[in-house]
Amino acid sequence: MAAPTVTVALNAAVYAPGDEMIMTVTYSDADTRPVTVTVVVTDVRGRSSAPAQVTAVIDPLTLTVTDDSGRAWTKLSDNGAVAGYQAVA
Amino acid sequence: MPRVTVTARDSGGRTATTTADYQVSSPVLGGYYLSGNGNPVADLAGGNFRSLTQYRSFADGYLFPGWNKPWLTELGRAGMKINMVLELKHYGAPYAREQTFRVNGRTYTVPAPAMTIQQRPGTTWPRAYGYDQVLSGQCDGLFARALAQYQEMDVGMNLQLASELDTDHEFGTTEAGGAYTWAESDARAVAALTYIVTWFKARGLPADTTFSVGAGGFDRACYQRTHPEALMAKLDFLQWNVYATSATHTALARFCRTKDWAVADLGPIALSRPVLIAEWGVRSAELPDQAAWIGTVPAAVAALNAEGGPRIVRTNYFNSGWGRLVPKDIGLAALKRAYTTRPYV
Repeated sequence: MAAPTVTVALNAAVYAPGDEMIMTVTYSDADTRPVTVTVVVTDVRGRSSAPAQVTAVIDPLTLTVTDDSGRAWTKLSDNGAVAGYQAVA
Repeated sequence: MPRVTVTARDSGGRTATTTADYQVSSPVLGGYYLSGNGNPVADLAGGNFRSLTQYRSFADGYLFPGWNKPWLTELGRAGMKINMVLELKHYGAPYAREQTFRVNGRTYTVPAPAMTIQQRPGTTWPRAYGYDQVLSGQCDGLFARALAQYQEMDVGMNLQLASELDTDHEFGTTEAGGAYTWAESDARAVAALTYIVTWFKARGLPADTTFSVGAGGFDRACYQRTHPEALMAKLDFLQWNVYATSATHTALARFCRTKDWAVADLGPIALSRPVLIAEWGVRSAELPDQAAWIGTVPAAVAALNAEGGPRIVRTNYFNSGWGRLVPKDIGLAALKRAYTTRPYV
């Protein structure tokens, strides 16, 4: 099993009090692979449904965010590779 | 400096951790100047004023805190950030001659000011101590007198050398029979102001003393000439003044004009310094609703500080000249409202 990787980028180095702060987290793991399962139902007379797909992620990563100033970071988006967080300066 | 830590963990418990540091700046300090270096205490009452500009001539015998200005010491001790503009310019006739005075038991004789500045056609050109006079040590007594008073006052402040070098040099200068172009005057000023900063820094100064040089900021080439890296390395702030004198002038455009030039033209040392707006104002002749214009300033300053580059950290409203508040009570109320708005809080 491989270890995960993570990098972060803030949208500024200095914020004024009250500014919106945006953090972009980019993460991955060599073991984390999306798997797409396609299901087709066929009846006894050979009639098939349209294929239905579902995507599953094997060994998904969990992100934890802490801030030593006590600032709360809220997740705005996450597509499994890039997550966006927001806080108030 | 706050730090945010992000950990990614897989189902097997393997982790990767990274961090990012950031800063949350202090609020911008809202400031003021009252005409004639007047006592502003009554005007400041009930407002979030944390910064103040004052003007003194090195020719004057009373620079710190100034003649009949004990209130300046009181404000400084109470935490008001003072920007003290110290000018080689002579403010009037009474002392426009040689001066002899004693400082800490030593007698100094300083010759009459030999330079003319602000040579606008059709006006009487003010006198100033000349850049050659500074470089030859003839003005050291003036600096010693100022230093002794400053140490006695013992309130750390920003010492802004010159009010507006561009205004001083715009029409050339003369000194002791020599005539100098605007660009030549800028180069001479850089040498002389470097001498003055170096002179003060070599001596004991109250804690939290900082330095800057003054510019109106209305001429790009002059701004570049007067802010070389060697001088900026000795200074703590960039500085320019901001006035709205046309109905078309927006706060954002007026505050960012000199900033844009600085960012394009100056070196990394200069651009690492925060910005002190020693004067800002809106002229009632063209913009009679001064209150409305003042109300747009917080958002403009916040926007400029959000875009990167040197941060504006103090803005001192100039209630005099072009910025005179007419009527005063309405303008002052607008200023107090502005200073209770982000980024001033």
